[in-house]
Amino acid sequence: MSEDLHQVQPPQTLRELFTGFLAIGARSFGGVMPWAHRVMVEERRWLAPADFTETIGLCQFLPGPNIGNASIVLGKRWFGLRGAIVAFLGLFALPFVWVLTLAILYKEVAENNFVKAVVIGVGAAGAGFFIATAIKLAKPLARSPAALVVIFGSLLAIAVGRISLFIVLPVALLLSVVFAYRKML
Amino acid sequence: MILVELAVVFVLMSVVSVGGLPSVIGEIQRIVVDRQGWMAADEFVQLYAIGQAAPGPNVLIVSLIGWKIAGLPGALVSLVAMCGPAAALAWWVSGLWDRFKGTPWRAVLQRAMAPMVVGFVAAGGVVLATPGGVPDWRMWLIATASCVSMLTLKKLNPLWLLAAGGVLGAFLL
Repeated sequence: MSEDLHQVQPPQTLRELFTGFLAIGARSFGGVMPWAHRVMVEERRWLAPADFTETIGLCQFLPGPNIGNASIVLGKRWFGLRGAIVAFLGLFALPFVWVLTLAILYKEVAENNFVKAVVIGVGAAGAGFFIATAIKLAKPLARSPAALVVIFGSLLAIAVGRISLFIVLPVALLLSVVFAYRKML
Repeated sequence: MILVELAVVFVLMSVVSVGGLPSVIGEIQRIVVDRQGWMAADEFVQLYAIGQAAPGPNVLIVSLIGWKIAGLPGALVSLVAMCGPAAALAWWVSGLWDRFKGTPWRAVLQRAMAPMVVGFVAAGGVVLATPGGVPDWRMWLIATASCVSMLTLKKLNPLWLLAAGGVLGAFLL
């Protein structure tokens, strides 16, 4: 790709910021991240690709929805507090309305066993996405026995043991930091 | 009051949701279904499915949970509670994080986080595919098929996999 393709220019007005995030939210069928990349990096060129990856990296590390955090971090970078609020509202406005509309429509037919079977099937397929995401994220870690201990330890504790995350998280964090500190991760 | 209870639950979830909603979906199910009994396990899966099928951040599942329990105010309170603390942290940390780029402890923390997030996300998938805690081979068949397809057919829009899950569900469940 030529250099001028990656001439980046941040949004100039709050309105532009809002419509950009609105476009991301409106189109994000089947996952927000690919659309965030398309709108902010490819279409509007607000960000360079590497900058996008780094911002998302930080947001994945933070608690909370990754893309929601990204709207806060980027909005803040470009327009301060107002930017953070505007970007966040733009991102969530349409999906919030649509998800509730869908739920209200669904309520009308939820007693129908056929519809119920279809929707639970969709839920099971969505559960598969989580496993697939975990496998993708685990690839660079698979050779480290210490990483496998943390992965399967927390998996078993949460999914099989049904132990509270407020117990699993501190224990896993402590263990993981010790492993990382000793270069076992 | 139910709105306060919802707010407390999701503020707590917000703080520990390292890696996003997938990391805490198992815990949310545990609290909402097992502990509080606000809904049945299969209702939870259905809400989750609606959240997946609609466009937008998957964190919106919490507004569906709130809506189911306490209507529109519940939906708003749950979403704000789930996003607020995390957003405040993102606001505060984003500056710090850039400043400490290249420091050893940031690298240690980053490496330490990775396997935890993997374990939490995988647990979320297992919990969702096992509503009520009783394994059902049909749910697992659909989940495994969608997982394998997602890993092998990288160009495919995930919506097609959800649709396929719905078709399989119609035949199997």
